[in-house]
Amino acid sequence: MLLQNGIADALNNTEWAFPLAECIHIGGFAVGVGSIALVDFRMLNLGLRHETAARILRYTEPWTVIGLVFVVFSGLMLFTSQVGLYLTNKVFPYKMYVLVAALIYNFTLHRKVAAMEKAPPGLSKFVAIVSLLLWVSIVFGGVFTGFLEFA
Amino acid sequence: MNIAHSIESIGFLSDFSESVLAYPIVLSIHLTCIALFGGMILITDLRLLGIAFKSLTITEVVTSLRPWKRVGGTIMIALGLLLAASEAGKYAPNPYFWIKMITLGLIGVHALIFRPIVYNQTEELDRSPVIPTKAKVAAILSLALWTNMFVMGRLIAYWE
Repeated sequence: MLLQNGIADALNNTEWAFPLAECIHIGGFAVGVGSIALVDFRMLNLGLRHETAARILRYTEPWTVIGLVFVVFSGLMLFTSQVGLYLTNKVFPYKMYVLVAALIYNFTLHRKVAAMEKAPPGLSKFVAIVSLLLWVSIVFGGVFTGFLEFA
Repeated sequence: MNIAHSIESIGFLSDFSESVLAYPIVLSIHLTCIALFGGMILITDLRLLGIAFKSLTITEVVTSLRPWKRVGGTIMIALGLLLAASEAGKYAPNPYFWIKMITLGLIGVHALIFRPIVYNQTEELDRSPVIPTKAKVAAILSLALWTNMFVMGRLIAYWE
């Protein structure tokens, strides 16, 4: 509780703290999800064709994890600054459900299919499209959370 | 200021900014482009600096990401201009917006300078035993410029 109040005070009372946390949040998202998208694009046969999806996954995975850790922690900071507003927001809970689904999906099914040496092309494509849709809908969820409650 | 107001009152732009859904939807797509294609810029720069993806050649990274960055960049800039034009009156006096636009111009200058000597010479870079300084300079400037674009974009919302 004390920690939560401390973070909330810092974000609410320091002019630059909230935008800084937002920048880390969006920047981390770009790193984390940008690296996932590279794997997805490869699975869709749209880029990096010299490499297998499995190898691209191996190179990008540390960046995915680092990016997402920054996203989650900065997200928690933003959340603690206005807990009441977020909890009553019409969009925010859905964003969280999709986020949990996307995280589980990414590190289970998505990872498994991307790492397959010879995945059926149809399966790869399907898995990649679901992944992109999940992450894109989180961006929409984030923007609409802001527009509905704080506009 | 008058110019700004005439821009935002252009038919489709005023329809756009008055629509409850259009503005956040376009903003979401703009941000999605940042996530997808900003990530690619970062990967290219990290590879040029020799920090990550070393098992891929510079040529592979640059050439395979290039078409995506072009498409993504075009959509991102077009939608960004649409967002700004629809609220031109608010954006015109906003210093962060102008810093962002100057940065966009500098990114163009960066491309003019470094495309011929770095991004179109990747095979030469791959042959070199150490990554040449010009490639590292290009990568550091690119990171600095894009970070500035990104932070100014966020700060636009905070200026009153």
